[in-house]
Amino acid sequence: MQKFSLNRRLVIIIVCVIVSFALMTVSVAVRNKKATPPLVQQFGNDIVGLVDRVVAIPTNGLSGSVSSISELLNTYQENQQLKKQVSELAQTKVRDQTLAKENKQLKKEISLNNSLTDYTAVTASVITRTPSSWQNQVVINKGASAGVEKNMPVMSGSGLIGRVAEVNKTNSKVELITDNNDTANRFAVQISTKSGKTVNGVLSGYNANTGQVTMNNITTKAKITKGDKVVTSGLGGVTPKGLYVGTVAKASGDDYGLSTKLYITPATDLSDLNIVTVAVTKQ
Amino acid sequence: MYRLSKLRFGFPVFLFLALFLDGAVSQVFSVQMFRYPTTMVSHLVVLWLVCGVIFEADGAFDMPLARWAAVAGAVFDLYYTGIFGVYVFIFPLVIYVTRQLVAWISPNFLSGLLIYFIDIAVVEGLGYLASRAVHLNDAAGSAFLVNTLGPTLAFNLAMFVILYFPIRWVYNWLK
Repeated sequence: MQKFSLNRRLVIIIVCVIVSFALMTVSVAVRNKKATPPLVQQFGNDIVGLVDRVVAIPTNGLSGSVSSISELLNTYQENQQLKKQVSELAQTKVRDQTLAKENKQLKKEISLNNSLTDYTAVTASVITRTPSSWQNQVVINKGASAGVEKNMPVMSGSGLIGRVAEVNKTNSKVELITDNNDTANRFAVQISTKSGKTVNGVLSGYNANTGQVTMNNITTKAKITKGDKVVTSGLGGVTPKGLYVGTVAKASGDDYGLSTKLYITPATDLSDLNIVTVAVTKQ
Repeated sequence: MYRLSKLRFGFPVFLFLALFLDGAVSQVFSVQMFRYPTTMVSHLVVLWLVCGVIFEADGAFDMPLARWAAVAGAVFDLYYTGIFGVYVFIFPLVIYVTRQLVAWISPNFLSGLLIYFIDIAVVEGLGYLASRAVHLNDAAGSAFLVNTLGPTLAFNLAMFVILYFPIRWVYNWLK
């Protein structure tokens, strides 16, 4: 009897492990290939997302009010500095508008409908963060009904933070570029060097120890120096051109000395995200 | 007496509250908890489940803990990670392991701390192996021990110390 029950337990464990692996493989495959998760999962996630807001909104509000009290203390000084910046900004903004208008007219002239730089911004707030160290994901409160689609780039503050990994009707998951899985941070980017040359490449990983994004396999002769700006290049489709990624921190030879490896400091603090912007491109 | 007590509805309500608080805590304290390369992962839902087993032994009636653990695991997988089939098995396993341990060691605050230590190590270890298997991370085993398991154990044991008596009060109130 003892032996039988031990065998049965072993069988149960093995069956559980096999089923678990099968489910994981299927869901990873679905996640990589399909534009949206299965309808049941989508529906479930929408319901859970709604319930989660009941918990998340008060907690996020509480932390907001605590930080606003601490910010109140140095408001006066900050206000003085910001006033100066605002007057400069107004000028830049007007110029920006004029240029955008001119750009639109010129595009019309040569009947160019959409170029790589066109996108509309959808602002979303972060509901919650995945409590896991393997998946650096946040759940945002905009989904397919707001026009969000899988693989769209997401920004916060001044720079790129990640891409949309899963879209439900009213919420979606954003995979941050700090995530080191096979698909998370492969963005096509370009660097304009000081000598005016453009270097193209693809982001290839995240170095958790230094907090820098890495970029491998660059074979250009152009000299890339510290402080060069890295922006998305718009090649490959979904990501529009000109989203700011960060600045070059270090350029060094790779392990075999054949190509250059770049270390890029991200433009935004990737562990402190509250409001994010999804860049929606028309396709 | 489980059918007649407030626990029947109270238990799932607090279970989901703990589940959502995990995400909310990770979001609000993300600067402190996800200070790369180290990460502290909040497991309040495991705390609620393990306390369920510990106080079940006191109260002398059974609760369908493994079933609720599987439900919480399924929601965790679908809503938080998007990879189904990981925590839906790990959470019931934690209940099983804890029940075996409680049969050996009579649970109180200090032995509960030991049991919870083992449970968190099981959850994090199996979670690491599963995500390694499907190529979601490429961290070495030593990096996992130092950067994730250590800080996570520290955070969750601190949570156990803080929340053990409040949770016991909640269970007694629900009984």
